Amino acid sequence: MYKSYHKKVVTTTLLASVLFLGTACNADNEKTEAVKAAPKAEVASAKMDTTGFTKREIDAVGPANAIVSEGVKKTYGHNGKLAVDGGVIYPIVNAKTGAYYVNEEAHKTAFNKGKTATANEQKAWDIDVMPDGTGLPEGSGSVEDGDAIYEEKCLSCHGDFGAGSGLYPKLTMGNAYEEQKTMMNQRVNPDDDGPKRAFGSYWPYASTLWWYIKTGMPHQAPMSLSTDEVYALSAYIIALNEITIDGEELDDEYVLDREKFLKIVMPNVDGFEPKINGPKGQDNARAYFNNPLNYGNGVRCMKDCFEGEPEVQRIVHAIADFTPPLSSERSLPAVVETEAAHPGKANYEASCSVCHATDSMGAPAVGDAKSWAAVTKKGLDGVIANTINGLNGMPPRGGSALTDDQLKEVVDYMIGASK
Amino acid sequence: MNKINNVSKEELDLVSEVSEQASRRDFFRKTAAYSMSALAAASVVAPVTVNADEHIKANPEDDLNIIHEKPWSLKFGDGVDVGLYGQPSPYEHNVTRRVTPILSSGNFRASIAVTPIQDLSGIITPNGLFFNRHHGGTPTINPNEHRLMIHGLVEKPIVLTMEQLKRYPNVSRIHFLECPANGGPEWRGPQFNSIQFAKGFMSCAEWTGVYIKDILKDLGLKPEALWMLAEGIDNSHMGRTIPVDKVLDDAMIVWGQNGEALRPEQGYPIRIVVPGWEANLCVKWLARLEFASEPFYAKEETAKYTALKHTGKAIQHFYANEVNSVVTSPCPEKPWTDLKKGDMVEIEGLAWSGMGTVTTVDISLDGGKNWVEAPLKGLVLEKSWTRFSMMYKYTGEPMLISSRASDDAGHIQPSVKNERAAVGIEGVYHRNAVHTWEIDAKGVVTNVQILS
Repeated sequence: MYKSYHKKVVTTTLLASVLFLGTACNADNEKTEAVKAAPKAEVASAKMDTTGFTKREIDAVGPANAIVSEGVKKTYGHNGKLAVDGGVIYPIVNAKTGAYYVNEEAHKTAFNKGKTATANEQKAWDIDVMPDGTGLPEGSGSVEDGDAIYEEKCLSCHGDFGAGSGLYPKLTMGNAYEEQKTMMNQRVNPDDDGPKRAFGSYWPYASTLWWYIKTGMPHQAPMSLSTDEVYALSAYIIALNEITIDGEELDDEYVLDREKFLKIVMPNVDGFEPKINGPKGQDNARAYFNNPLNYGNGVRCMKDCFEGEPEVQRIVHAIADFTPPLSSERSLPAVVETEAAHPGKANYEASCSVCHATDSMGAPAVGDAKSWAAVTKKGLDGVIANTINGLNGMPPRGGSALTDDQLKEVVDYMIGASK
Repeated sequence: MNKINNVSKEELDLVSEVSEQASRRDFFRKTAAYSMSALAAASVVAPVTVNADEHIKANPEDDLNIIHEKPWSLKFGDGVDVGLYGQPSPYEHNVTRRVTPILSSGNFRASIAVTPIQDLSGIITPNGLFFNRHHGGTPTINPNEHRLMIHGLVEKPIVLTMEQLKRYPNVSRIHFLECPANGGPEWRGPQFNSIQFAKGFMSCAEWTGVYIKDILKDLGLKPEALWMLAEGIDNSHMGRTIPVDKVLDDAMIVWGQNGEALRPEQGYPIRIVVPGWEANLCVKWLARLEFASEPFYAKEETAKYTALKHTGKAIQHFYANEVNSVVTSPCPEKPWTDLKKGDMVEIEGLAWSGMGTVTTVDISLDGGKNWVEAPLKGLVLEKSWTRFSMMYKYTGEPMLISSRASDDAGHIQPSVKNERAAVGIEGVYHRNAVHTWEIDAKGVVTNVQILS
């Protein structure tokens, strides 16, 4: 079926194509597919389903014309269904797709490149973890162990008890069940509380947390945590969010394992649309995005589109912390003197810049003379001692494995670069 | 000798001496050679120049840039062996991507660098200025050691080297890539007085690669395969779920960008391009495609890239970037401060739609109360940037300029008011409301929103 897709759309616009779900790429199904005709009249008269929308929402979207645009009708005619994104598809017709010419032969020929992926190769790279537990290995870890690992490897960015730090994400905003109730909040006025989106209150599945910690964290050393460490950290973060598992609160001794993990029901599991799970998932997305009421659309008014003068909203607090500063000048760049790289620079980049590149973490930013003047007031020995032993949010040695001498070089570099 | 009065007397003497002596057949060639070397040698001698102030006093209509020869016209430039991979003129150094800590997730390895769309012309973004978003920094990948694995619900799981991948027949397509958070910081009002930061989370290039469906026809996709995970092999191992419908339509694995290899920061050696859809789906440093019957729920399609509506429900798998447009000239970075009342000027901008092809762009000069259709110009391609243009006689009066695009899927850019009514103000992603610039009596341009 798949191979002949292009040919068929050339011969008739009414054939259901390879894009039809469930039979894609199965060459044997060609005959059954070929007799399926798209109910063209149906789409032409289709109207937006306005069930469940308020008048305000319906008025905002304007005339229900999107679903019957010529482009969308053609898409339906070619494929026997609408495009999954609510848009238009440009099939190959007479060796052209849209504005482009196509060598149709190139898309019919088998090439059979590459080699078969061995089971070991697939196992080595198949790192995703799905909500049903696919990819989730056996293992276990306690909340208490998670707390210890967190303090060592996570706290420097994510803050005490996952409260966040600078621009690094918060891992919790309180009781997940309570915070989930804030999703309808709209910050219409500057002092309004917005929706409190964090792992506990917002994410639909806990599998995402496990997958992300295992493959993406810690930021500077991904894939470095063991399976048990990831269970322990997951347990700790779930406890911070006050999420219960099978009705049970997670105290320090709680040990999370695969079986318990799969029982987690996130508070916001039903907070997302369209519904994409199950065999109808793609079709649900298709129906959703072909109804612009779900996400808005405009009206092409040309004259006197509102009463009176336009109401203008201007910038209140401009964000202008840009690097380099905005300029449209045509000039020669300032000459920068090149010098030999400082011996501490490479280690700084690898181990310290995650926190010290900007002041978003509350750490003194390299280049910020004022902050560093305050730091060095206590004398160089004090700065180096703090670097080795840790200070406030900074773990000992900044969480690195650098030697004392290397740390001294790094400190010297950071101070020098901040004068 | 008016035209070369910046040249020293010595240089002139040398040139004329050589010229007089030369009399053979190779007169022209020799003269050129002698005079060029003479000029080059003489350029170290302090030139005796005519006093510029005196000249302009006597000839106020003259442009000194014409009257005085420039140093670059009187000496050698660089040979062809200099800069074998060319760079822009040093005078263009301000045309560059820009960053701000506000748009980072803590550090610049999980952040964005925005494109100076105010400085671009046409619909192609140079590779060095292409919008850039990382989740764990740019890796330096050895292409000889890089592999692409395609597995999951296929009859024959495979691994391809880059050389093998490039043996598939290639296609080249011009598509924009837009971060769905383009304009996202401004849901609750304008914040950036800059087009680069307000609308520059996007770029447009010609991509060269292979349709994924052309590889799949060798692999035998199983009927129950509905979703494909695309995953990178950089620090972030970022993955996203793509519906099989799109994979079998126009999703590509690309290695070429504007005629050359992808830049490292764009995914070298390969990335996915999912035409028209959230650029976050266009996974860089691509190493693995896995087909499954259920969606994967990766972090970047749950925690992020979901648009929370006023109903409390969030849109997930929000695929296409909806129809959108912005006036690029004038804009805050390219104001009209040089114009005089009565001057003719071109209003120009970019329109794009991830759902199809731009069909119309309307321009309003009164804050969206009245509109006129503006001519499109240049190539009008599907899921690509499209230029529009309008001639305007500048009045010097304060004004509001807005643009509003439509596409062939029947979608029209909403007003700010209508977009807020439909989805609220907490969505972060997929903001495509009409954009407006306010121009004051001096021609200064400011970012505003019209709430009418």
